[in-house]
Amino acid sequence: MADVMNVGVNLEAFSQAINAIQALRSSVTRVFDSLKDGMKNKETLEGREKVFITDFQDNLQAVNRDLTELERLSNLVGRPSESHPLHNSGLLSLDPVQDKTPLYSQLLQAYKWSNKLQYHAGLASSLLNQQSLKRSANQIGASAKRRPKVQPSTLVLPIQYVDDVISRIGRMFPDMSIELFRPNGTSAVLLVTLGKVLKAIVVMRSLFIDRTIVRGYHENVYSEDGKLDIWSKSNYQVFQKVTDHATTALLHYQLPQMPDVVVRSFMTWLRSYTKLFQTPCQRCGKFLQDGLPPTWRDFRTLEAFHDTCRQ
Amino acid sequence: MGVTCVCQVPVVEGKSVQQTVEQLHKRLEQLGAVKQGSFFVDCETYHATTNTGAQPSKLLYVMHNSETPLSCLVLFDGGPTLAADANFDVLMVKLKSHFQNAKGHKVESRGARYRYADFLIKVGTVTMSSSARGISVEVEYSACVVPGDCWNLMKEFMQSFLGPSVPDLPSVFSSKAEGLFAPADCMDTMNQYLELFSKIRKQQVLPGSGVR
Amino acid sequence: MEAPPVTVMPVTGGTINMMEYLLQGSVLDQSLDSLLHRLRGLCDNIEPESFADHELVYLLKGRQGNPFILRARRSLAHPTAPWHLRYLGQPEVGDKSRHALVRNCVDVAASHSLPDFLNEMGFRMDHEFVAKGHIFRKGALKVVVSKLSRALVPGNTDNTEPLSLSYLVELSVLAPAGQDTVSEDMRSFAEQLKPLVHLEKIDPKRLM
Repeated sequence: MADVMNVGVNLEAFSQAINAIQALRSSVTRVFDSLKDGMKNKETLEGREKVFITDFQDNLQAVNRDLTELERLSNLVGRPSESHPLHNSGLLSLDPVQDKTPLYSQLLQAYKWSNKLQYHAGLASSLLNQQSLKRSANQIGASAKRRPKVQPSTLVLPIQYVDDVISRIGRMFPDMSIELFRPNGTSAVLLVTLGKVLKAIVVMRSLFIDRTIVRGYHENVYSEDGKLDIWSKSNYQVFQKVTDHATTALLHYQLPQMPDVVVRSFMTWLRSYTKLFQTPCQRCGKFLQDGLPPTWRDFRTLEAFHDTCRQ
Repeated sequence: MGVTCVCQVPVVEGKSVQQTVEQLHKRLEQLGAVKQGSFFVDCETYHATTNTGAQPSKLLYVMHNSETPLSCLVLFDGGPTLAADANFDVLMVKLKSHFQNAKGHKVESRGARYRYADFLIKVGTVTMSSSARGISVEVEYSACVVPGDCWNLMKEFMQSFLGPSVPDLPSVFSSKAEGLFAPADCMDTMNQYLELFSKIRKQQVLPGSGVR
Repeated sequence: MEAPPVTVMPVTGGTINMMEYLLQGSVLDQSLDSLLHRLRGLCDNIEPESFADHELVYLLKGRQGNPFILRARRSLAHPTAPWHLRYLGQPEVGDKSRHALVRNCVDVAASHSLPDFLNEMGFRMDHEFVAKGHIFRKGALKVVVSKLSRALVPGNTDNTEPLSLSYLVELSVLAPAGQDTVSEDMRSFAEQLKPLVHLEKIDPKRLM
């Protein structure tokens, strides 16, 4: 309210000041007009000079008076721009022809949008940082500065390094045999045979696990043309379920900066299926539920649960 | 081909074989099992006519299983086994001067086939010379290949529709509980059927028609 | 809704009463190439198959009469393939007008436990040999050109010695009993192979 009042007062002072400027300009014009016209025709030279000087003095006094008036008014006007919340852009609101150029309202709208966007982006970024759903390195807001470094180091790893990591993991688990294939170029496909229980095909992109499919120990892992069959699902409901859970595990174990740890954690988790048919559910104590053994393995404790028995 | 257990289910007292079989069907259906066609297993017995050695010759069993319809499964009691194609039956005809078909010893089990998750259940009526003598139940858990691994799981499943009278680990596995179930053929299953058939045959011993 | 029933096979399945029609001959090693060349021209236009088989001949002696003979063959080139068990009956006597030897034949594919199993049945291995050669086909006709070698050490198929300086040539057809027209086809085919090889009706009993 005070602002509006202030603006109103200022507007009056403005119009007075503009009038004062006009008056000043006309008085200044008069000074130069009289100077240009020179002395008027009078009988005597002295008379002529006297009249000219008097006129000139009068004119200058008028200029002086108008200038003083303008100075007085300009003090009243003050500096309105400083008090406006939108600084100089606020002056747009003073444009009287708003209907033709609705710049100010558009500006406000844009400002609101950008505010909202910033707020939501902030929320999203904090949420994403809590969840570790980072499938690739190029979306982490926090480590934006590191991005150029992270991306090449994890997505383009030397083949030798991948081989080393895999063979080291293979040596860690004697009951698990890992065969490495490179059917198309540099991407590795692992065939993991766990005891006499299951076979898992793990499709890698560098050291990231892209996809996994689990089949029974006695099921075919090769298609008719002798290549690894990475698509068709198991004939058995148990292993279809385990495949689903393994895919969940892929999303759970994610640590873009240390992909080898991810592969190792996943393999450790997968290894807990070695007693798939021998372990009763840790919650209901039974082997079967809907004809299926406990197919879920806790990500931390590796305990066995039925799909419906886990929390 | 997974781990299979074949067992005999006693006929409920006061009921016929047929009624007991129907009761089993009903229980399986209540559990959620789905009927998938039928099955049969049969067994012909032969004995060698040329008994050269001092000890009595062993019996030769030629069996068929609807799961492997083009094969003959040939077994000796506790001896070597052979999986052959259906022409083996013709060969046995050619061999009839050396191996005689023990008439009246033909046993077969026929019935319905049910599927429940990864389980395959076959409830069969065992018949000898066209009279029903008993009930066989075959349970196969097809997802696992190590009998020792999934035995407890299978036992729990069988208890769910057979009640507490569940058999022990079949003797064909006890010698190789940690080993693999015969993967390519169904010899372990046929051995169990053979055991069950001779058990049923002995139960019904009539004078004059005993097992040689 | 009921699933389609499992195929029910008759208990005595298999193909009953198949006959083998056979003509035999031999060529010296030197003329092998020209015979193969001729056969390639005469037979079905498919790549001729080579084979290397190990055959064990088993006898079951009864109280009287001839011993029962079974031939068990396994492929040396494909060790995982099933064994092939073959029963060959006595040649049919008489009927001079027929151009080929005719005998009963039963072929059975069997698992690898076959030798043990035959032993348990009372069969004893009589002799063994290795046959290496080529198979040609023309319709139902089968031509087998093979070199027979005997194993120097029983059971060892790597250490063999050729039985002769020639190749055995056999022309055979499997057909149900009573289809004697096939022997006509065989005769005309054999005519076309002359004078490279003379295929004749040879009675094995005459050689014994």
